[in-house]
Amino acid sequence: MTATQKVEAGAAGHGAEPRGKRTEDGQATYLIAIAEALWEEMERDERVYCLGEDIGAYGGAFKVTEGFIERFGPERVMDTPIAEETIVGLAIGSAMEGMRPVAEFQYADFMSSGFDMITTALARVHYRSGVPLPVVLRGPSGGYVRASSFHSTNPEPWYAHAGGIKVICPAFPSDAKGLMKSAIRDDNPCMVLEHKWIYRRVKEHVPEDPDFLVPIGKADVKREGTDVSVITYGALVHKTLEAAEALERRGMSIEVVDLRTVYPLDEEAILRSIEKTSRALVVSESYRYAGIGAEVSATIAQRAFEHLDAPVERLSPPNMPIPFSPTLEDAFLPQVSDIEAAVERLSAW
Amino acid sequence: MATDVDARTQSARPLPEAELERMLYLLMLSRYFDERTEALYRQGRLPGAIYSGRGQEGTHVGVVFPLRPQDSLFPTHRDLSAQLAKGLDLKRVMAQFWGRIDGYTRGRDGNSHIGDWFGSRTWTVMSHLPIAYPVACGAALAYQRRGQDTVAMGICGDGATSNGRWHEALNTSAIHRLPVVWVVNNNQFAYSTPNPLEFGVPTIAERADAYGMPGVRVDGGNVLEVYAAAKEAVDRARSGEGPTLIESVSLRWRGHAGHDPAKYVPKELLDEYMASHDPVANFQDWMLAEGLVDQDGIAQLDSRIQREFEEGYEFAQSSPYPEPEDATKGLWVEDGYWTSEPGRGGPTEAP
Repeated sequence: MTATQKVEAGAAGHGAEPRGKRTEDGQATYLIAIAEALWEEMERDERVYCLGEDIGAYGGAFKVTEGFIERFGPERVMDTPIAEETIVGLAIGSAMEGMRPVAEFQYADFMSSGFDMITTALARVHYRSGVPLPVVLRGPSGGYVRASSFHSTNPEPWYAHAGGIKVICPAFPSDAKGLMKSAIRDDNPCMVLEHKWIYRRVKEHVPEDPDFLVPIGKADVKREGTDVSVITYGALVHKTLEAAEALERRGMSIEVVDLRTVYPLDEEAILRSIEKTSRALVVSESYRYAGIGAEVSATIAQRAFEHLDAPVERLSPPNMPIPFSPTLEDAFLPQVSDIEAAVERLSAW
Repeated sequence: MATDVDARTQSARPLPEAELERMLYLLMLSRYFDERTEALYRQGRLPGAIYSGRGQEGTHVGVVFPLRPQDSLFPTHRDLSAQLAKGLDLKRVMAQFWGRIDGYTRGRDGNSHIGDWFGSRTWTVMSHLPIAYPVACGAALAYQRRGQDTVAMGICGDGATSNGRWHEALNTSAIHRLPVVWVVNNNQFAYSTPNPLEFGVPTIAERADAYGMPGVRVDGGNVLEVYAAAKEAVDRARSGEGPTLIESVSLRWRGHAGHDPAKYVPKELLDEYMASHDPVANFQDWMLAEGLVDQDGIAQLDSRIQREFEEGYEFAQSSPYPEPEDATKGLWVEDGYWTSEPGRGGPTEAP
């Protein structure tokens, strides 16, 4: 019924097929859109280079950099040892010297192997010393692909808490491309948490203009509605849109706000939507406890209290490791049916 | 005949006379600064913390001397002497110690968590060790990619060699033959933990073999021995031959930080190092023996250093504290805080 049930072995990325090409009518998958962003920025600015594990001849575990080494050479598509602290260190040091590194993490899970370099060094250099660090850290995050505890993490709250890194979680190919390009051109540290469930599942027409940019820190309303606002990001934008279709057939009008960037948070866009609908459901794939959804909920409770007709509803996984077995993972992560049920609870107030 | 003797003496000297005089000045300045800031700390007149580098000045000054102005330095909290040797301004250093706007971090950090990337090309020190080692790899990578003959130097203590990042950085630098020099200031204690509880090999230098780079062990009490090893390593890096590991052995004469009486350091060991491995006294003796300075000259240097310290102290006290509203500025590049002059409306008395 839903795409999650069609997931085949290897969907977590191992031994993935070639990245593929745009369709003849110009549609690109999220994966292709991200690759285009990197390619175009490397063409545009010779200071931009990629580094990471197996990104060269192998083209990356998910094939984002497939074919890059042939065009840009091993110095700008640099294979590193399995040394995440040093991947971040290489990025910081070379950025201090004016380069613009884009570091791939094979999975966003493994960013935690470089945690100290990210949260202590990368996030704090500029505030303490005024040295800009135009660094992009990127990698596939998220679940729904039966990849279990070490290949499904949503680490965005950890790095949003670092307080010096812009954390970007795009849901659509165009947003992924435009935000990635903005991140590479940004003079601050940026983290782009791609979502591996979206990589090959979602395609759309993606702008080909090499200067197509999507602003960091701006949310986007992906579906207009009047009854309930659902504020979400990443793969759950797609699941929310699916739920909104079903709910519309039952007479409910859902507005879907895609945060796109989780830090800094676009509070004004959230508040505009609440003023319109008076009901808020916050859906996140990261932990409920002190997570992105918690911050969004608190913002609504504090700043839009007089507009609310119901308490803020939250939907997010418990604060524990994500399990492997399909029954367990489905129970753990928010599903389309959970979103529908939560909206109905809210509407009943 | 006299000319021949002079020529021979001259050729035995590793540096021109003026440079040797500068070396002596920096060693004595480092010692004096260390002693005076400790006294002020104990009197409650210095906020924050102090991390004494006393007894290790030979390492700090010796390794920095072969560096050119454009070379970069990635030190730790204990390496203020190395930063002074690289060119930090004493007045601004002292403003940093007192949390003032003229400090290198504009009051965002204190004491030796200091650096001057755009001036003296030094990393603003972080406490986590050896957090700057992987970063030094990145700077060296940039020099290599651009074909620049610039060198990065990372300094850490023996304690930091037990951390995974130390190994990652050495390994990565050897793979790519990066133009970097790794200095370990082995002062024999990681806070209170002695060398035998830090590593299972006799020396740190011999670990270089495992990464595929030369390793050398020198006496940190002899600044010229340190300098010679560093010069060779810097030249090697500059000519594209890759990294070198230098272990410079000294003893930490004081505690890890100002609050630590360091009772775990055996008295006999401390006595021995203070008597025969004092890098400042040893170099003074060498300069006297070489006839490059006399007792009058040393006394004049002492007076100059005391005067500069007093001037630095006065400068720091008259520099305003940062304005409170600046606390939330300067996180992102686009707010312009770091490219604008800082507000100077803060108080000059401790709030």
